[in-house]
Amino acid sequence: MNWSEFERVFNDCELDGSKIIIKSKLHEVIKFVTDNYTYNVLKEIIANDIGGGETELIYHLYSVDDEEDLFISINVAGEAESIVDIFKSALPDENEIYDLFGIKFIGHEDLKRLYMPEDWKGFPLRKDYVQDDTRLAWNDDNNA
Amino acid sequence: MNYLYFLYIEFLTRHNIPKLFGDITFYFIPFCVIAAALLVVVLILVLAERKLLGFFTQRKGPNRVGFWGIMQTVADAFKLLCKENITPDKVDVFLFNLAPILVFIPMFAALGIIPYSAEFTFVNTQTNVILYLILAAFPILSIFLAGWASNNKYSLFGAMRSIAQVLSYELPITFVVLSIAVLASSLNLTGITYAQFSKWGIAGWFIFPCILGFIIMFISILAELNRCPFDLPEAESELVCGYNTEYSGMRFAIFYLTEYSMMFANAMFISILFLGGYLSPFGKYLFSSSFLIYFEQAFWLFLKAGILIFIMIWIRATLPRLASFDLLKFSWTVLLPLSILNLFIAVLIKMGGALC
Amino acid sequence: MTTTTLKLNLGPQHPSTHGVLRLLLELKGEKILSCEPDIGYLHRGMEKMAEKMTYLQYLPTVDRIDYLAGFFYSELLCRIVEKAMEVELPDKVRAIRVMLLELNRIASHLLWVGAFLMDLGAVSPFFYVFREREMILRFFEKLTGQRMMYNYFVFGGVRRDIDFLDGVEEIISILPKKIDDYEKIITENPIFLRRTVGKGILEPEIAFNYAITGVNLRASGVDYDYRNSDDLYRGFDFRTVVLEEKDSWARYKARISEMRECVNIVGQALDYLKRAGVLEQRLINPLNLKLPAGDYYSEIEAPRGLACCYVRSDGGEKPYRLKWRTGSYYSVNLLRKLLVGEYLNDAVAIAGSLDIILPEVDK
Repeated sequence: MNWSEFERVFNDCELDGSKIIIKSKLHEVIKFVTDNYTYNVLKEIIANDIGGGETELIYHLYSVDDEEDLFISINVAGEAESIVDIFKSALPDENEIYDLFGIKFIGHEDLKRLYMPEDWKGFPLRKDYVQDDTRLAWNDDNNA
Repeated sequence: MNYLYFLYIEFLTRHNIPKLFGDITFYFIPFCVIAAALLVVVLILVLAERKLLGFFTQRKGPNRVGFWGIMQTVADAFKLLCKENITPDKVDVFLFNLAPILVFIPMFAALGIIPYSAEFTFVNTQTNVILYLILAAFPILSIFLAGWASNNKYSLFGAMRSIAQVLSYELPITFVVLSIAVLASSLNLTGITYAQFSKWGIAGWFIFPCILGFIIMFISILAELNRCPFDLPEAESELVCGYNTEYSGMRFAIFYLTEYSMMFANAMFISILFLGGYLSPFGKYLFSSSFLIYFEQAFWLFLKAGILIFIMIWIRATLPRLASFDLLKFSWTVLLPLSILNLFIAVLIKMGGALC
Repeated sequence: MTTTTLKLNLGPQHPSTHGVLRLLLELKGEKILSCEPDIGYLHRGMEKMAEKMTYLQYLPTVDRIDYLAGFFYSELLCRIVEKAMEVELPDKVRAIRVMLLELNRIASHLLWVGAFLMDLGAVSPFFYVFREREMILRFFEKLTGQRMMYNYFVFGGVRRDIDFLDGVEEIISILPKKIDDYEKIITENPIFLRRTVGKGILEPEIAFNYAITGVNLRASGVDYDYRNSDDLYRGFDFRTVVLEEKDSWARYKARISEMRECVNIVGQALDYLKRAGVLEQRLINPLNLKLPAGDYYSEIEAPRGLACCYVRSDGGEKPYRLKWRTGSYYSVNLLRKLLVGEYLNDAVAIAGSLDIILPEVDK
């Protein structure tokens, strides 16, 4: 992709290898990238708990025609914009991230517990998750 | 039947038992015979199907219980008898229990009107072909009852499909039977068998003028029996087990029993219509004693039915299942016109024969 | 006039969902109005486990992600470590790995053919494919001691040298004939054609939008096979099977053709292995293995689509974060789109044609 053109539109970003790190306007960036370049597949969304209540989301885009990968990374705290309207494959990914990291995706109409039981407390892949029986859903008394 | 009746009365008089007793009890005997024979036949059929499917798929099939696995189905039947009869919550208990009973009775009656040999016809009425058609289609009502009463969506779908299927395949069957009735000038199964008699054995069979009818009949019977490739009502990959999903234990066993005995009865029915029934394929019998001939005739009928059942099992091992839409379409757009054509051919043959 | 719709719960214990997938279907008659997949019945927390285990401890567990194609996931993890430690694989190790991966792919596709035909109501092919799959599994068992969870690839190489290749030779001489046999009984069967041709059409745009990869994508006319850009397959000569029909039949045919291609690749690997000398490999010491801090990413063309592994290391002996991408996960999501408007019995066939396997979905 054309980095200089991208930088001109979104000045609040930096390039790290093949990864673009942006600060905000996630939906706009993804929309821009898919509209102006040939990135047509969202291979996956990777979430990393980077501490301090922040989560890094890495969007792995791919262009089938140019055989080119693109990683877009953004740090979010608790909430993020959903891109389900651009990529339908983000639906299960965002749902999974909600389930395991507790990130609420705004615009995702069907966020629910995917792997964990409905009444599960906590988000297992967060670093502050306490792996303790008292946190289990069926042990509600100890977990006021 | 008269032969048997006289034999029985003679036996009774020899032991000084009044004839009135014989007159009353004689009509119970056939049903006892059918009931006993049925269990054996179904056990053999189930074993045969499993063995053959094993053979077709390069497995051994049942081979542990008894020699060559012959006791496997007995063991299975015993297991089903011992199992708890579970009545799920929120089913219509009366209909739920009624369905297995209703499915059993017509099958029993249908076996009663089949002429097993020149003398072994338990109930012989003038138009028993029509009676047979009615009885053969009757289990569908109980299948629908079962599906409805089970209060299960899969069962309901199975029952729905079953009704649609039998309704659409009943018509081709009726037209084919009509053409046979025209050829034989009879609506009686024994009469139809007699009409196929010829000195050269198989030359008189109706399969030759009516090969088209035979194929239609065979396909439609497969559909009516819910056999593969028409096994949509109990398609296990879609509907779990179809109408009998909620049944267990003895009630399930009765459905199972009915399925296989209907298969046997329908195979015999086709044999009678097209393959000369109990007539020998050689034109003359191997035995000369009239008593033994009756058994030989039954043997020929069972052999013909057995061959048809073998083909049914073979088809099951080979073909995938039809889609429900194609199933109905196939009946209404292909089989029905062809069966009417077959009726015309039969009428033409009959007229040609009359003119000559 | 008011019409009511019927909510049908297909699964999680249903014969044709190949595991514990639950589909919430809204039906009108037998027509599907909406489909909502519900997953998570088989979740084992593979990603959470990784954070609690060292790389060596984690390696044997990754085979369980996809019990039909375990080699692929071991390969992914090994590749991450090899990439991080900058180890170049010797040619013989590459040949062994390619051979095993492709045999595994054949085994997986074979089972799919059987299961798919089972969904369509044909019982026999299921047993036929198990017969051939058995040959492959026998070889795996002889080599690795396990039939499904191999734990054979290790960081930097393989666990032991292959000193017997008769099994493979037998497989690649018999298999093409057997595949011909399947085609005879299946491909031209009119009922099979009625149930698959034109059913479940997956347009490439939809496939891209739903991130469908692998055979399902190639059956929609897109020439995308990660093996072409995969370093492991360097020097192997193979053709990417691309079909234009886009329907269930194409997905079936693509898998059948891909199996033939796999046999070809296995043959090439076998030729090399026959000539190659003793295995010389430089294994990475798995004890106290610490990956340099940073992000690592590896991809592979698994039987059910592109599989990826992402590892973030903070320089410790356990991964800071490990993420799997599996093909089936996105195929399940595709059911929302693909099943709408279909009839129930077609729906089962279409869902079967996507080759969904639940341990891979739930991870």
